[in-house]
Amino acid sequence: MAFSAQTEKYSGKMGTLTLGSGDQAITVGGQAAMPFAAFDGELPNKPIVAMEVYDVVSPDWPAAVVEPFKDVINDPIAWAKKNVEEYGAKAICLQLISTDPNGDDKDAAYAADLVAKMLDAISVPLVVWGSGNVEKDAEVLAKICEVNEGKNLLVGPAVEENYKKIAAAALGYGHAVVSQSPIDVNMAKQMNILISNLGLPMDKIIMEPSTAALGYGVEYSYSVMERISLAALAQNDEKMQCPMINDIGKECWKAREVMLTDKEEPGFGPDQEKRGILWEAITAMDMAIAGSNLLIMRNPKAVKLVEECIDELMA
Amino acid sequence: MSKQVIGAGIRGANVVVDRVEGKINAAIEKYGKDQAVALPNTAYYLPVIYGITGEKVETLGDMLPIMEKCRQLLADVPVDNCWTPYLGPGLDSGMAALFAFDMEEALKYLGDDCPYLASKEDPEETDADIWLGAADDIILRKRGVEFVDGSAPGFAVIVGAASNPEAAAKIAKELQEKSIYVFMASNNEKGTSFAKQLVEAGVQIGWNTRLVPFGFDHPSAIHGVGFAVRAALTFGGKTPGDHVGVLKYIKDRIFAFIIALGPVCDEQYAAACGAINFGVPTIADTDFPQVLPTGVCTYEHVVTNIPESEIVTKAIEVRGLKITISKIDIPMPYGPAFEGERIKKDAMHVELGGPKSFGFEFAYSKPLDQVEDGKFTVIGPNIKDVEEGGLLPIGIWIELAGRKFQEDFEPILERQCHHLLNGAEGILHIGQRDIVWMRISKKAVAAGFTFEHFGTILHAKMHNEFGAIVDKVQVTIITDADEVNKRMEICRKTWTERDNRLSDMNDETTETFYSCSLCQSFAPTHVCVVTPERPGLCGAYNWLDCRASYEINEHGPNQPIAKGDVMDERLGKWKGVDEFVIPASGNAFESFAAYSILVDPMTSCGCFEAIAACLFAANGIMVVDRDYSGETPCGMGFSTLAGSVGGGLQTPGFVGISKFYIGSKKFISAEGGIKRLCWLPKALKEASKDMIDARGAEVGIPNLYDMIATEENGTDEETIMAFLTEAGHPCLEMEQLMEMM
Ligand code: SF4
Repeated sequence: MAFSAQTEKYSGKMGTLTLGSGDQAITVGGQAAMPFAAFDGELPNKPIVAMEVYDVVSPDWPAAVVEPFKDVINDPIAWAKKNVEEYGAKAICLQLISTDPNGDDKDAAYAADLVAKMLDAISVPLVVWGSGNVEKDAEVLAKICEVNEGKNLLVGPAVEENYKKIAAAALGYGHAVVSQSPIDVNMAKQMNILISNLGLPMDKIIMEPSTAALGYGVEYSYSVMERISLAALAQNDEKMQCPMINDIGKECWKAREVMLTDKEEPGFGPDQEKRGILWEAITAMDMAIAGSNLLIMRNPKAVKLVEECIDELMA
Repeated sequence: MSKQVIGAGIRGANVVVDRVEGKINAAIEKYGKDQAVALPNTAYYLPVIYGITGEKVETLGDMLPIMEKCRQLLADVPVDNCWTPYLGPGLDSGMAALFAFDMEEALKYLGDDCPYLASKEDPEETDADIWLGAADDIILRKRGVEFVDGSAPGFAVIVGAASNPEAAAKIAKELQEKSIYVFMASNNEKGTSFAKQLVEAGVQIGWNTRLVPFGFDHPSAIHGVGFAVRAALTFGGKTPGDHVGVLKYIKDRIFAFIIALGPVCDEQYAAACGAINFGVPTIADTDFPQVLPTGVCTYEHVVTNIPESEIVTKAIEVRGLKITISKIDIPMPYGPAFEGERIKKDAMHVELGGPKSFGFEFAYSKPLDQVEDGKFTVIGPNIKDVEEGGLLPIGIWIELAGRKFQEDFEPILERQCHHLLNGAEGILHIGQRDIVWMRISKKAVAAGFTFEHFGTILHAKMHNEFGAIVDKVQVTIITDADEVNKRMEICRKTWTERDNRLSDMNDETTETFYSCSLCQSFAPTHVCVVTPERPGLCGAYNWLDCRASYEINEHGPNQPIAKGDVMDERLGKWKGVDEFVIPASGNAFESFAAYSILVDPMTSCGCFEAIAACLFAANGIMVVDRDYSGETPCGMGFSTLAGSVGGGLQTPGFVGISKFYIGSKKFISAEGGIKRLCWLPKALKEASKDMIDARGAEVGIPNLYDMIATEENGTDEETIMAFLTEAGHPCLEMEQLMEMM
């Protein structure tokens, strides 16, 4: 008898999310099978990498991290352009750091204006990531939504304490939202419910179940994401059928193994750049295999590695 | 009863429709049918008509078919001696009046003498008049977002005028303080309007102060309805013409209400009838018959004869509006970071209650009209009257009211005091009920703390965290010893009643159980099924807690389970429970037995207070709790046991339980219950003495307590067997556990 491979049939399907507008729009999600398991079901959209741009860069960034962007490091617009034109970024993620009240405390109008300028300068979809200060992010992201009406940005992270303001602004002005939860399946679901109850449709929500870097708890992120995928596919749990995004660059490039030079830690070896690239690429692949649809990454070489890997797995 | 109101509404609607028809015909004569009509800068045409019917009115000619519709909706004015149903025709006629108003307002924008300042957020002094008319889409979006994110809890349409400008200013301020938008339209029989009264009182009006002057006459109130309809279309994603969807969205999400000040005319009755369609109630300060039966609106429809000074509070209550308090107005910082704060003796200004004095904290509920929200009173010396290092008795007496409040929630909210008060820097809180003990730091007192601030904190936090069930919070702080003693008696009596309430409940007569899936975060397949007689295994959630948690957050981890038909009474299996457990455990389990340790026992997550395990040789059951670190007769200590039993597994022979469950009639009742209990750690045994004695007596073995072995009698089955045999423990004579599997 001929060998016939066992396949898994799922009753559910992940929803999709479209980033950006017009002909530059990209759609992610929509998979009817576990990641890369094309033999089990349709995988209509491959995971996409959004390349990071920071509005300000901390002076602690090691030279190896700065290297690929050293000519544009103080100009986020130029940096974004370079990512697109030179490194082939399919999407950009603007990381807002300077709005943090414990740092430069730049105001919402500044951020909204920066986003408007960036939208003018690039031709790929834009993700805007807040500083992580719950109150300030609500104010800043809401303003960004208002000023950039109809551009279908993806803004976040919206968390339990600030989702109302962010999601309402996204709803009012035509954007999508990152719904972030603290490594917990039920919380992830509850956030989706809370946000969609405000009126934002599920196809305007993407989940960030909290990203941990390799060696810093990546296995927790992995298992939560796998369980979300299973709930969405096997149990057809509608409130879990939002695609997923991971904020990877930021987590990886602060790892000790990446930040320390070989003088500080001889065992790590001299090639600090290579260490960082691998650290980021491996973390990103872990997330892709766990079910991520949108990977936020920093280093162009790591991005290339991951994109090649994804293409190969999707082929 | 309300026939008079509806009758007047129908009469008014007829007048309005006639008048508007005349105006439309005159305009057509002047400008022709093709003349464009529109409200300024909006994609929603005439929004009320567009949202409800889906019809786009773009020209004068387009108004004619709408007029037809109005005529169809209009009912005949009811005659006094004929008792036909009136609410339905009243609502339809009201809707006709709203459509007519929508068109009448659009006509104002034709020609040169438009009375409105177009597309402006605020009137300025240099403007000829103050009226803003319809909001354009930019304003709608900006303000509408606030209704979605909750920073604007609702809007009030104020029609008529207050008794004087000062009274108007007071009402406006009260609404502003609650972040409610105030839409102002129409005037009273003397030609006075609420908006003009505010201007006279020196109050800044406009969108930016949330006091919006729509227009001077009655029809201009339609812009409030138009705002709500456009919000339903924009933010609710409703399709124009989906009138059910639009009406429901406004009722459930927009929280609008009408405050009618001064005498109400037929035309306003018509508008009020129209508004009921949207779930928008009217609250009036004059005396006319009320329309109370609920049905269309969330609660009452028309409430009258409310004094001006109470009208805002009443309106909020009638509309069921939830207020959140963004800033807790106390002189010290507040947040979770301060919860663990200790206040040492030398940093302390005053000590309240505790071992050296006495005190209580107590929350109970009363009818809505007997609680004054936000009222804080101190009986006895306040902070300024105590010397540094002083000591006072304390009573915190919390009165709660809410439309959805149930008596069973009282203890749950009372227990919150600890967590809520501890959040303030400079307040240390320990204990509950009559063992409360607090300290206030010198620093807090220097910053300006007074005892009223206990009220401020409890009021704000209870509204914010328990808004789903709490509408009003009033707090009295008592430091007068006699008064504390006097009220303590009431408290103690109530506490006893409360304690008995749950113990009076049983699983048989309860139809709804609750699930808890909080622990799925680390034990993905684990579900607790919480019944009145079987608390969650962590001991933190009993049936009442789960129910309250569900009422507060219906999407939370506690969900109701309709237990359905009994499948096995002895094991504790119900159809509804099994149906729930299958998907809730991610298809990992098919059946749960609530009362068995051997057949389909419930899963154990990891946070069980104790573990029950079968001792097959002794034919009994042992229970070991988390605090006991020694060996046990089943051959494993607590942590080894926990490792093998936990993680969301069903392990026949073992089950995680709460300590309290030991005293339940349903404690492993499938296998014989308390009579099987043959070994406990000594400390747990002593702590559970009352429960064991009570249950022992009930099953006819009053000295059961003495028959239960502890580590002092042995930590292996053989040794304790000797003890049990000598004690004559009933388990030795019972059906073989082995055979019950
Ligand atoms: S152990 Fe407690 S918290 Fe955990 S699921 Fe059960 S009742 Fe909920």
